[in-house]
Amino acid sequence: MSLDWTTLALEMLNFLVLLWILKRFFYAPVLAALDARQQRLRDQATRATRTQAEAAQLKTRYEERLADWQREREEARRQLEQELVQLRTSGMAALEASLADEEAAVRARAAAGAASHEAALLREAAEQAYGSAAAMLRRLASPQLTLCIAAMFCEDLAALPDAEQAALRKAAADLAAGAAVEVSSAHALDAAARDRLMAALAQAAARPLTAAFRETPELVAGLRVAVGECLLHANLADELAFFKSRGAHA
Amino acid sequence: MSDGVLGASVVWQIGPFGITDAVITTWGIVAGFAVAALLASRCWRPEPARWQTAAEAVVAAIEAAIADVVPRAAVRRLLPFVATLWLFILVANLAGLVPCLQAPTRDLSTTAALALLVFGSTHWFGIRIRGIRGHLRHYIEPSILLLPFHVIGEISRTLALAIRLFGNMVSLEMAAMLLLLIAGFLVPVPLLMLHVIEAVVQAYIFGMLALIYIASALEPTERDAESAAASQTNEEKS
Repeated sequence: MSLDWTTLALEMLNFLVLLWILKRFFYAPVLAALDARQQRLRDQATRATRTQAEAAQLKTRYEERLADWQREREEARRQLEQELVQLRTSGMAALEASLADEEAAVRARAAAGAASHEAALLREAAEQAYGSAAAMLRRLASPQLTLCIAAMFCEDLAALPDAEQAALRKAAADLAAGAAVEVSSAHALDAAARDRLMAALAQAAARPLTAAFRETPELVAGLRVAVGECLLHANLADELAFFKSRGAHA
Repeated sequence: MSDGVLGASVVWQIGPFGITDAVITTWGIVAGFAVAALLASRCWRPEPARWQTAAEAVVAAIEAAIADVVPRAAVRRLLPFVATLWLFILVANLAGLVPCLQAPTRDLSTTAALALLVFGSTHWFGIRIRGIRGHLRHYIEPSILLLPFHVIGEISRTLALAIRLFGNMVSLEMAAMLLLLIAGFLVPVPLLMLHVIEAVVQAYIFGMLALIYIASALEPTERDAESAAASQTNEEKS
């Protein structure tokens, strides 16, 4: 247990050599690697912090954008609802107007149909009445009735209105020389009846007239006198045709 | 007891200088560390392998231990010396477990050399970091009357550092040898297991004490504290 100075000196030297070797080839690279790694970690932490901040900023921006979109959507929906309400209101108004027009048209068509039907019924009734009256008058027709109608015609000629009387006289005046008045009767007239008729015609026309008598059974009863262009009716067939035409116009 | 038991035996004699087995074992340890460090420096990669991770963990643990004792700025300066102390003493203590080898630390000359290095490093780092005036002022504070006690303390703790490591390692090996003589083969095996723990503990104690001694040399004196407070006050005023 003695202290050897040679060993002491060599051990000190050995330790210093070992210290240099380890410092040069072990501690330096290890510490450099640790520093580099720590620096890398710090850089990564810095980048992560920056990225996190950017992400938070982006998140805030997107949230604001989403809120804007939400507001725009709500606004668009409200506008759409308003437009829909307006469209529905206007559509309902148009529909009601259309329905009213349609109803009026239907009513008009119904009224027209009813009127047409009523007119058809009236025409049918007139036809039936005409047919019944014609049948009844044909059964009542006789030479005496024709004579009675001729007598009544003569009375009417005497009381002829002025306008018709003027027209008769003008037609009589326009007759060509030698032309005769055509007198058609349902039954043959006797001479007395013919004379009374010609006398009444001459008085109404204010001039003497010649007549050509002809028997026309289609007149049923009565007579028809043609003075030029002036035609005088006093027979049942023309009266029935007149009523028939009036019934058709009604 | 001869030198063969309590100390190192001379292997070579070169003139007046005798090369002991402790020195040769130390050369082997140094060579092993050198080869390992050279290989490690060539195979260093950014993505560490397992051995590289282990090496980094060891250095990081030593750095953290130093940072717990000394100011942050002085950690990197002290790390090579303190880490080398820890690693060398650990390997040197464990070298005794290898057959045909003697632990260099069972030689008082080796432990004394290490203690002297610690003594010298204390003043070296104290002067480098605080300046020679600041370092020497440490011995006369709080009163110049304490200077002898400071000097005695420096010498005694250096001696204690050397004797502690030497005594522990020698006593452990002697106990193992006595058990081998008394009880026979394989009985000292549990004691050898204890040797491993003792080797680690003694290396830790030696390195930690060296670190504390160096840190005590780096501690600010009262005058340093006053001047620091004054400069801080001036900075606040300005």
